[in-house]
Amino acid sequence: MTLLLCSLITLAVLFYVFYLPGKLQLGPEKTRLAYLRERKEAVYENLRDLNFEYRAGKFPESDYQSMKSSLEEEAAAILAEIARLERAPEAVRGRKGVRI
Amino acid sequence: MVLSLKRGCLLGLLCFTIFAFLGAGDEDARFSTVGHKMMCVCGCNQVLLECNHVGCRYSDRMRGELSSALSRAESDDLVLQSFVQEYGPTVLIAPTNAGFNRVAWIMPYLALVLGLTTVVLVVRAWKLRPLRAHAGAVAPVTGVEFERFREQARKETEV
Amino acid sequence: MAQIGSFALLLALALSAYSFVAGLLALLRADGRAERLGETARRAGIAAFGVVFLAAVVLVIAAFQDDFSIAYIFHHSNRDLPAPYKFATLWSGQEGSLLFWSLLLSAYGLVLRLRHKTDSRLFAHASVIIAAVQVFFLLLLNFAAHPFAIMQGSLPEDGNGLNPLLQYPEMVIHPPMLYLGYVGFTVPFAFALSALVMRYPGEKWIHITRRWTMVTWGFLTCGVFLGAHWAYSVLGWGGYWGWDPVENASLLPWLTGTAFLHSVMMQEKRGMLKVWNMWLIFATFMLSIFGTFLTRSGVVSSVHAFAQSSIGTWFVVFLTIIFLVCGVFYVMNREHLRSEHKLESLVSRESSFLFNNLLFLVACFAVLWGTLFPILSEWVQGHKITVGPPFFNRVMIPVALLLLLLTAVGPLLCWRKTSIESLKRNFLWPSLGALAIALFLMVTPVSWGPPFAMRPWREISSLYSLMAIALSALVAFTVISEFIRGGRVISHHTGQNLVASMIRLAHRNTRRYGGYIVHFGVIVIIIGFAGAAFNQDREKEMGFGDKMMIGPYTLVCRSYTQEDKPNYGSEWAIIDVFKGDRQIDTLYPERRFFKASQQMNTRPTIHSTANEDLYLVYEGQNEDSGRPIIKAHLNPLVMWIWVGVWIMIAGTVIALIPNAAAAVRVPAPVRVQAEPVGAGD
Repeated sequence: MTLLLCSLITLAVLFYVFYLPGKLQLGPEKTRLAYLRERKEAVYENLRDLNFEYRAGKFPESDYQSMKSSLEEEAAAILAEIARLERAPEAVRGRKGVRI
Repeated sequence: MVLSLKRGCLLGLLCFTIFAFLGAGDEDARFSTVGHKMMCVCGCNQVLLECNHVGCRYSDRMRGELSSALSRAESDDLVLQSFVQEYGPTVLIAPTNAGFNRVAWIMPYLALVLGLTTVVLVVRAWKLRPLRAHAGAVAPVTGVEFERFREQARKETEV
Repeated sequence: MAQIGSFALLLALALSAYSFVAGLLALLRADGRAERLGETARRAGIAAFGVVFLAAVVLVIAAFQDDFSIAYIFHHSNRDLPAPYKFATLWSGQEGSLLFWSLLLSAYGLVLRLRHKTDSRLFAHASVIIAAVQVFFLLLLNFAAHPFAIMQGSLPEDGNGLNPLLQYPEMVIHPPMLYLGYVGFTVPFAFALSALVMRYPGEKWIHITRRWTMVTWGFLTCGVFLGAHWAYSVLGWGGYWGWDPVENASLLPWLTGTAFLHSVMMQEKRGMLKVWNMWLIFATFMLSIFGTFLTRSGVVSSVHAFAQSSIGTWFVVFLTIIFLVCGVFYVMNREHLRSEHKLESLVSRESSFLFNNLLFLVACFAVLWGTLFPILSEWVQGHKITVGPPFFNRVMIPVALLLLLLTAVGPLLCWRKTSIESLKRNFLWPSLGALAIALFLMVTPVSWGPPFAMRPWREISSLYSLMAIALSALVAFTVISEFIRGGRVISHHTGQNLVASMIRLAHRNTRRYGGYIVHFGVIVIIIGFAGAAFNQDREKEMGFGDKMMIGPYTLVCRSYTQEDKPNYGSEWAIIDVFKGDRQIDTLYPERRFFKASQQMNTRPTIHSTANEDLYLVYEGQNEDSGRPIIKAHLNPLVMWIWVGVWIMIAGTVIALIPNAAAAVRVPAPVRVQAEPVGAGD
């Protein structure tokens, strides 16, 4: 009885692990564009926080402006590269792997 | 953020110290002070006066010994010393401030001081250090393109 | 029965080993078959969960069937043990709890492997690392601490029974909580190491593991405090934390985990401290394993350690391997962890996180140092010494006060740098408020009693107390001011009232405002801890009608009696509690004699109010008179600790809720064909 049960369990496990019909459903690989979008979201989040905290009266105007301009610079650079990649998907496809 | 347990416990013990101070001079308080400097040796890992280990063969006897030692008007140190001789050094609840045991007390404070100094020095060094390109760095933009994208970022992040 | 369990464990080992090896090969190979090989590895990991689960079920069934042919069941259960404790047998002893560790790890692995499509390659790496950890635990279970080992000789009639201290309802949930916390740190560790190994672009792995880490941290927090509550309710010495090595073992990963939860924000928001965070989560995982080692190897003596055994060597080897693997990959890929921004000022949110981390690590070091010093002393001086509560309390006070100060200050500092003007805006009113409270406590007359009438110039202890209360007030004021100021902005925009606006505010950024609520819970807990300063106790032999006074209470012994139950015999007293002339409660302090294990155990009884706990212990009987000896403790503000824990849990749950605005803000991604980034090479 025990032997039979153990054999059945082993068979079921082997079947589950090794029987792979059809094509595998894997998620997409991470692209430079996806990475840039993540970065954009992070910088946007920081900008929104900054704006909100400024409105809440946490920083004086001068601190706010200096922090804001540096974050906006960062955001602009990311947006520009996103725009470039979105405009020229063909060119990107033509390249051999994009290291970031 | 959360340092809860240790904060509380240290408060607890500092409170015990207050408690001890309040009754200074009083014989009961002296019993309590010295009794709280020793462990019960039965293996229950509790402070001698807090051992309620039912049927404990040690704590009752030790309390009796402590009482009689205190009544002989011996100094606290002498009493503790006699317990160490009888039950071994593990009877004392905390390391003494002598010899190698002093290292136990020094190290955490040393770590704190060294750590604070390191953080201050590191922050200063980082302030002066030029930023090297990191993985995934994005090239900065200038001119009209910069203005356009900055405006876009500004609009999209308005609260 | 035992054979099925043994077989399941062997099969689980084979599956995990396959999941590790095949997964690793799939990651190393670049041909078309790698994907299929990787998929079989993933499935083997999933199947391993099923098989470990089967082994755990077999052990629980064996406990319910009183199958004393299995040595583990014989040692940790008995026929008359109530059903919930039979279930808890699974984690009551060395072998069972290792099986439970393994089960939880495979459950975490299951969730991770089912969600692999989020980022297949990253998840595949993490899955391999989890499989490696699983292989270690299954090797232990199969070859060093086998839960299905068979009893030799004739079959015993009844088991040894469960340790009486563990026969308490909380014991059914405390270990699972603690283990969920311990084991859970494997997941962020696996992702962090994966990100390092594959030079993962960006910080998304942090985003993916954020909830895992918070949930794990929440479980560990619950586990630690349930342990404290159990100690308070069962051990009967009137306290909740004794700096026992096992308690310390649970605190170590909690401290580094808390540091990680804070500093990881810097990496997410500013792309900084990448190396630090990597090592912090490595350390947290290693401390979880170390804690498991500490409680099981017998290197330190503790009231709740498992029996001394030889498995310590296994853990030492495993910890060394982890350290080497982490170290090698760090050296190979450290360039990938370069910071994206510089630190600009000592007075900034960034450096407040640095100091916060430093203090948590110093606290962790101090606890570790104190826990291990007896062993060090034995090496150096040839004899062990005791490092008990006074050591920890004295060492931790300065660190704790500094941390409390940072809890108040940190959230109000600006990123990058904070100007004097900004400091003034944010701190003027909270500081004045805290100062006013401190002054009030100092000038109140002595007749008001504690916690008023503090005289910090007289004793250092009073100074510390005052500082703790004033700093707690500062934290409270800064948290409140954050809510009010944010709420006002929302209220201005939406026209809603302030309370509704504050709720909306918390929903906009749940992690931040959930975090503030956790901070608030912490200070409530501190107030509870501070109450211990004013603890009192009395002990008296109490016959029929005898009275004992403690604080505002009068205790009257109505009766004392004994009873015989299948699992234990008990003696108890019936004590009426009066406040003034009014009877407010009846308490039943008890002492039990557990038949199977032949052990005595006290059961304190507690009358709990917001002001204080009246805690009665049945200490024993006077052998001559037969009358019970009752010890009464009056412990002020203890309830605040448990309330504070609930607030912390609420804050953690709030922090786990997705941000309300996120769905609106995130623009729909544009579908663009692009090459994958060079991850994994």
